[in-house]
Amino acid sequence: MPNPNLLRPLSALGVYFHGVYISLTFGLPVAIGVMLWKWWRTGDKVYYRAARLMTAVLAVNFALGAITGTLVEFGLVQIWPGVNLAIATFAFVPLALELIAFSNEIAFLILFIVTLGRVRPPVSIAILAAYAGFAYLSGVLITTVNSWMQAPWGVGPVAKALYPFMPEYGPNVVDVQKLVALKLAAVATGSPISLIIEKPGFAETVGIVLKDPNVALYSPYALVSMFHNILAAILIGMAVATAGWAYKYFKTGNEEYLKIVKPLAGAFAVIFVIQAPIVAHFMGEMVVEYNPTKFALMEGAVTTFNDPIIALVAYGDPNKPIVGFDQFEKACLSHGNATVGDLAKTLGIPTVLQLAGQTVDLNGIASLKLSDLCLADLQKAMSYMPLVHTTYYVKVAFAIIGGLAAAVLLFYFYKVPGLSSLAAAIARILGDERRRVFILALLLVLGTVIPAVGGWAVREIGRKPWTVYGLLYPSEVVTPVPYATSPGFLAVTYLVILAVNLGGLFAMYLVATREYKFLELLKRGAGVEKSESKVGA
Amino acid sequence: MNEAVFIGFVGLGLAVTLHILFTAMTLGTGLIAAYYRWLAYRKNDAWSELFARKAFKVLIVSELFSGVWGTIITVFLAGFFTALTTLATNALFIPIAIAIASIMVRIPTIAISWYTWGKIHPKTHSLIMWVMALSGFGIPFGFRAIFAEINNPVAVGYYLQTGNNPGFMPYENPLFWTLYLHTVAAVISTGGFVAASLMSLEKDPKGISTALKIGFLVLMAQLSLGPLYWLSLSWYAPLLFNSVNTTFGPLFAIKLVAVATLFILGLQAYRKIKAGAAAPGYVKWLGPLALFIVVAGEVLNDGSHYPYMVIAGEKGLPATLFANFYMDIPMGAVYVILAFFIFSVVVFTTAAFYALYRRFLAEVPQAE
Repeated sequence: MPNPNLLRPLSALGVYFHGVYISLTFGLPVAIGVMLWKWWRTGDKVYYRAARLMTAVLAVNFALGAITGTLVEFGLVQIWPGVNLAIATFAFVPLALELIAFSNEIAFLILFIVTLGRVRPPVSIAILAAYAGFAYLSGVLITTVNSWMQAPWGVGPVAKALYPFMPEYGPNVVDVQKLVALKLAAVATGSPISLIIEKPGFAETVGIVLKDPNVALYSPYALVSMFHNILAAILIGMAVATAGWAYKYFKTGNEEYLKIVKPLAGAFAVIFVIQAPIVAHFMGEMVVEYNPTKFALMEGAVTTFNDPIIALVAYGDPNKPIVGFDQFEKACLSHGNATVGDLAKTLGIPTVLQLAGQTVDLNGIASLKLSDLCLADLQKAMSYMPLVHTTYYVKVAFAIIGGLAAAVLLFYFYKVPGLSSLAAAIARILGDERRRVFILALLLVLGTVIPAVGGWAVREIGRKPWTVYGLLYPSEVVTPVPYATSPGFLAVTYLVILAVNLGGLFAMYLVATREYKFLELLKRGAGVEKSESKVGA
Repeated sequence: MNEAVFIGFVGLGLAVTLHILFTAMTLGTGLIAAYYRWLAYRKNDAWSELFARKAFKVLIVSELFSGVWGTIITVFLAGFFTALTTLATNALFIPIAIAIASIMVRIPTIAISWYTWGKIHPKTHSLIMWVMALSGFGIPFGFRAIFAEINNPVAVGYYLQTGNNPGFMPYENPLFWTLYLHTVAAVISTGGFVAASLMSLEKDPKGISTALKIGFLVLMAQLSLGPLYWLSLSWYAPLLFNSVNTTFGPLFAIKLVAVATLFILGLQAYRKIKAGAAAPGYVKWLGPLALFIVVAGEVLNDGSHYPYMVIAGEKGLPATLFANFYMDIPMGAVYVILAFFIFSVVVFTTAAFYALYRRFLAEVPQAE
């Protein structure tokens, strides 16, 4: 079977590129909306032209987002076909509802693009809002699926039964016997579960595994994650847009660009205040409660220790210790001498399973100690500690930088006694007028992009060694296709992904920065008189 | 067949049909646009560039919406027909990989082509247009392999019997080639007629003539490729062949009448224009008629499977064998979702109407 470790970077690459475009997909509508609002209220065409240019960038960005989304989705199904079992159960409802969002998101985007400049600004804003609404809904539902993989809501005590340090994940709405039987079959055969679920008639034979199809929607982990992820994405999009216009101001000195930067900086600051100190805090609380190993990895807790500041932030109680891996190991040892065979017997799972016409003998793994399995997985998790811990604190540091830059930029533009003087003093350190605005905007980008990249890395890597936290390993959901990890396939795949995405990003840059230079032939064909042509933006 | 399986089957069919409808529209017009964009650059021809730009409007408006139905197909397949999806991804790994790679190139190059038009050198732009056009044909090269396999499971059968991965074996399936060739001809011909309809709205006689010529000439090729596919079904998928000619016979007859009508009207219009007369008013309906033929064909190809999902010679494997029984699918939510699909089609149709019919989408980009 293919080594899943060779395929994970490939999946991560697709996900990260997708994340780049999602950020602009979420953030640019806000930036464009601000411009349309200013245009409507002031009649100033500068804002309209800014909206048009950002819309062009949004359109190319959306196409790239759509194909990386397709890549991630197809890749998920093709490279990790075992997730089809999740799609058929827990993920069915959020993914199906996401189709509502995706189809209408695209429809409204096209409507917005086509009618921009042809209808009154309030109408454009309304269409844009509909597009953004469906876009965010899409983000909500995809986040719900991802959140289920982080905190498998609806399996109740199943994970805890194997890993005593884990909490229960919501109500128990699964057929535990069937779920565990499938897991044990995967362990016993060493084969991915897709080889089982692909057999015609297997599903009909197994019957109901999940009793509440909507359960993933109820997860508190999902609820917090959706705000955290969407606001983070919006901030990146806003930061990039702001930096883009700040760069034009830096380059040309044209005050018109400063007019564009100002309201964007204001909107950014408002959103940042909501995201950084409030939503991120609740996200941290969710991790503490539902991903104990992840939190320990983040804080470098090999052993349990006391830190009043971290404890106050994490638990709201400065006296509570930061739980480390030593506590998890004790929890594992609480299994005593219990074995896999004991677990199977308790659940009424026969020692010889008949699955999809094949016989799976569990006797080979019956003597395995549950404590040994538990400890082995803890060791795997702990091996990621240096990476997760460092990434987490780099993320925090840059978030602080982003916050400071946002504050300085805000009070630089919007005069508040005292604060604006301080902001101006700080800004002067950065150089002349044009340079300081650009540098501050760049810091917004760094202060949002790096935390997001780091945050997603912590979120995903911190989940290891499980693909579904506490339930499934990558080796159980990976493709059984042998050449999926061949050098040739991997090379071609990386080449296509990198070429399309880097080429796409470059194209977005061209769309955002290039003037029209080669329209003469088109104008002649359309019968447009030369005197009607305009020069530049 | 229970409700979930039936609705899953119908929903999947709806998504496939809409996806193919939009794809048929865009693949052909994309090729036309790329060719005339290149011609404009090579010959410094103003009319060719404008013609390319006009034809390309079809893509920039509809390609993303076409893509969403591809995603809908995936979710319906994985959600409603879990075993089929898993089997396809494991057994048909290479065709699916080809399709995904083609999608990744196709969709961004469409947006990039539109928004860099006039901003980058025409030679570079023309090259991007060719990449855009040709990558589109890679998508059915991958996905039509799945369609061929559910009609005649050569590779999947080998996989299930031996456990070995079939690699490129899907391309040894005779039905793949007859279906793919039929598809390629259909989309180019349809693209020609769609472009002719658009030029009719634009009142561009040269454009109408050019587009009609493309549509009509490729339709001529269809007169052999269509029957070839039909005959190949009788050889390799007799159960499906029988269904097409009996249960779905009336629809098949309607399709044939539509093809004949398109042929006759297309020929008449082309002759009139070549003779210097004004284009007949009905030219603007030839595009919709061609699209209707595509839809009818897809409904025939897919719907005639019912109640089976996979056809293996004289035997059919029921859809229930591949269906999701792991939970009670919440059908109320599914109906709401289907309703929203219709809503999104309405919104999209509104956008397309304003863009193409009311010509809100300008040929010459505004300076920004």
